[in-house]
Amino acid sequence: MDKVPKELLQGTLDLLILKTLSTASLHGWDISKRIAIVSKDRLSLKQGSLYPALHRLEGRGWIEAEWGVSEAGRSAKFYRLTGAGRKQLETEIEHWLSFASAMTSVLQMEALS
Amino acid sequence: MNGERFRWLGTRVRRLLRRGRQEAELDAEMQFHLDQLTAEFRAEGMSEGEARQAARREFGTAEVYREETRDAWRPPGLADLWRSVRFAGRSLARSPGFTLVAVLTLALGIGANTAMFSVMHEILLRPLPYRDSEQLDNIVRVTAQNPKGLVSVADYIDLLAAPGVYDQVAAFVDADMSLAAPGRPAEFARGLRVSANFFATAGVLPGLGRDFRADEETPGRNRVLVISHRCWVNRFGGVADIVGRAVRVDGEPHEIIGVLPESFSDWRYLGWIDLFRPLGLSRDEITDRRTPALELMARRAPAVSAAEASGFVAQFGERLATDHPDENAGASWRAIPLEVVKSGDTAAVSLTMLIGLSGFVLLIACSNLANLLLARTMARAREFALRAALGASRLQLLRPLIFETLLLALAGGVGAVLVALWGTDWLTAASTDDQGVQVIFPLVWSVLGWAFVVSLITALAFGLAPALFAMRLDLNATLKSGARGTTGDRGHLRLRQGIIIGQFALATVLLTGAILFVRGLDDLNNSREGWESDDLVTGTVLLPETAYATPVAIIAFQQQTLQRLAALPGAQSVSLSYTMPFFGWAESRKFRVEGQEIPESGREPAAVINGVSADYFVTVGTRLLAGRMFDARDTADAPRVFVINQNMAENLFGEASALGRRLAWLDGGALKWGEIVGVVRDVRSVFPGADRVRFQLYQPLVQEPRLKCEIAVRTAGVAPSALVTGIRKTVTEIDPDLPLRKLTSANARIERANYQVGVLGGMLTSFAVLGLALSSLGIYGAIARTMAQRTSEFGIRLALGAEVRDIKRLVLMTGVKLSLVGSGIGLFGAIGVTRLMAAGFPRIPQESAPVIVVVTVLLLGVALVASYLPARNAGRINLCDALRAD
Repeated sequence: MDKVPKELLQGTLDLLILKTLSTASLHGWDISKRIAIVSKDRLSLKQGSLYPALHRLEGRGWIEAEWGVSEAGRSAKFYRLTGAGRKQLETEIEHWLSFASAMTSVLQMEALS
Repeated sequence: MNGERFRWLGTRVRRLLRRGRQEAELDAEMQFHLDQLTAEFRAEGMSEGEARQAARREFGTAEVYREETRDAWRPPGLADLWRSVRFAGRSLARSPGFTLVAVLTLALGIGANTAMFSVMHEILLRPLPYRDSEQLDNIVRVTAQNPKGLVSVADYIDLLAAPGVYDQVAAFVDADMSLAAPGRPAEFARGLRVSANFFATAGVLPGLGRDFRADEETPGRNRVLVISHRCWVNRFGGVADIVGRAVRVDGEPHEIIGVLPESFSDWRYLGWIDLFRPLGLSRDEITDRRTPALELMARRAPAVSAAEASGFVAQFGERLATDHPDENAGASWRAIPLEVVKSGDTAAVSLTMLIGLSGFVLLIACSNLANLLLARTMARAREFALRAALGASRLQLLRPLIFETLLLALAGGVGAVLVALWGTDWLTAASTDDQGVQVIFPLVWSVLGWAFVVSLITALAFGLAPALFAMRLDLNATLKSGARGTTGDRGHLRLRQGIIIGQFALATVLLTGAILFVRGLDDLNNSREGWESDDLVTGTVLLPETAYATPVAIIAFQQQTLQRLAALPGAQSVSLSYTMPFFGWAESRKFRVEGQEIPESGREPAAVINGVSADYFVTVGTRLLAGRMFDARDTADAPRVFVINQNMAENLFGEASALGRRLAWLDGGALKWGEIVGVVRDVRSVFPGADRVRFQLYQPLVQEPRLKCEIAVRTAGVAPSALVTGIRKTVTEIDPDLPLRKLTSANARIERANYQVGVLGGMLTSFAVLGLALSSLGIYGAIARTMAQRTSEFGIRLALGAEVRDIKRLVLMTGVKLSLVGSGIGLFGAIGVTRLMAAGFPRIPQESAPVIVVVTVLLLGVALVASYLPARNAGRINLCDALRAD
């Protein structure tokens, strides 16, 4: 399967992070790993770009961070979703799904005609 | 939910507080990620180095993400702002020359003006430190000789009794004293003898201790002192138990009963006063209507205007003239608001002029800035057109410009604060005299703010207007017009040339004014009309009244001093006198000439007088024109003799000889005639406001000895300063209780006394140099840029057979033309300035024509140099490049 073009990824990174964090409290490395695994490596972005996004989300109060110890025994910063983040995730998922379904139906209609 | 919000707020606050730790945490977080990545690649079998490189590739540029993260830490608006500022900063850093010149221009222009206005505020605008100072009047007695004369005690008492418009009328008189704390040598102190209601009138009460009581005005009970805050700190170390302390004043025991608050430091009206003592008027003094003795300060009743009070005082004067014609005919009375008196006429004129000139500097600075920004923006017209064509909105186009301008103005503002602080510090230092007295000029921040806003507006206007203009341009034309942009546009060229012309006009005015003034000051400080100041040491000595109660005692001291000082090695001749030739001439007396018509009362001629010891004329270098000087013949008991100045001799006796004629003082008593034995040259005071030579009359010191006198020693073969220690030692040996004041070379003393004028000159010179520097910078910048813009034109000219010489001439002529036109316009202003100077400083020479010629030539020279530097580059035009550039 081809990789998703970078342009499409922009603007969805926040959603990806929120969704990834909805199940567990993770550090940056885990988040990027998890996105890669779940998306079957199609959503590859420069991993560093994760950090500005994480801090932006933290600034908005959607996620919060805490220093903890990683599996390898090193200290790492763990992020987890806040209540507001959970709501935001729901809203964004809704937006995304309705956008995607709208796009899909338009594109399919064109394919039919 | 509330908790959520709170946590979010907490994060923000934590972030603000722990920026450094946050950075470290971010680094650790990213490093952790990188390490994990590296480990993963290692696991795939890469070498350590390869793995690290691959990890870095996968991660992206850490610095970029770090910067983005920092943006995320800032509130969204702030992040944007920060980006704009950074962008503007980088853009300015790319043209460091432009930035430096613009910031310097702003800093100097604003800073110099702020310093100037701070001085004006301190001298002219700030109210005197008295309660409701606008209600205070100075009451003076106007006579033909003195427009601000003192009043007699009897007249003062009449005024107190007159029902009138004043709540309080206080009297005071200058009385320098010698002050000695127990066990310490006497020091010279500036003092005032004041009526008991003096502080009540001023509306300032002692901060420590108490005010004078009414009964302390009578002699015998008046041995109480109120001291100034300065005196308390400087002479008593600010000790807490100062009130009640016993000191000796003029050798008599006095008690300190109060200390004035620090705010009562008034150098503008009263001067720096150390001690205040009650008047203590004797019975004889109270009935004396003849001797001008007191200065009056009065507080108007709350509802009374200055005009009403003035009318009342004038009427009172008329009544005195009718009731006591002997003493008061020909005199009138005036009330002048204290706030008018304080600054004096000369100060007002010179400050107005300085402010005018400093305003010119600001104008030149602003126009320079305008020209710089204009040129810069025009050079970027193509960039703007291109961006506009690509769809940038107006705001997007202007945004970087606005930020650049704001950044420039901000940097200029910071520089201006430094310049202004330095300037006021310098002025404060310059005003410090040998007694440690100084005038502190606090910076007026509101003025700084104002000047800053003006320059900001200038910068914004001239930075943005051309950009807005550029947007209206036909994009096609601009883009087509060539690689270098549209700077050849006629309208812009004319505007910028107009600015240059204006700068030269301003510079002409500024330079003419400054040169005239500085030359006048030089003349003032160095002209020694009628005497010689080189190799002369002078100092003031004040004998305490108690120790030197009789003329015999004073004369004995004076004789001994003269002998001992003359014996000092290096002393050529020594003299004592009431006053030195360069100052004061404070005392004037009316006299009658024997054998001449007696003028009506009040219209008698008056002369300033000086009592001098035998060698005075030799010591100060005043030449004898006829007759003889005083000598050993003229003892205290010998017949009275006078020496008069040339002006007086010519006025009184015309062609006839003055020698042998007789004069007598009109001092109320029997006429005591004295013979004129000599005529000497006119002597002119070195004070800027001083009148031309008046009648000057000398009498032998021994025939009317005084407690206060001036020592003068002419040195031979040694520098004046070398003798200072010897003189002080000698006088202390004669009387250890004697304070010697202002002992220094005559030249230093004159400079000191004229320091305000000196400071004025210094400021003017710096303004002039500043103006000239800014203007030449302006013309250089303008010509250099024109040169750069016309390179292709020059290339074509060269290709068509023009010589490099022709191109140079073309460039040079542009500069010369601009400066000539500017200077021509400036001539009118220069003539105006000359007129203003003539009004404000009648003594400053008015040969302005040569000065104006010199200024014009100077400016032309500057223009030539400023144009030559870019013109020189004409020879370096590479024909191929120039033609290919488009």
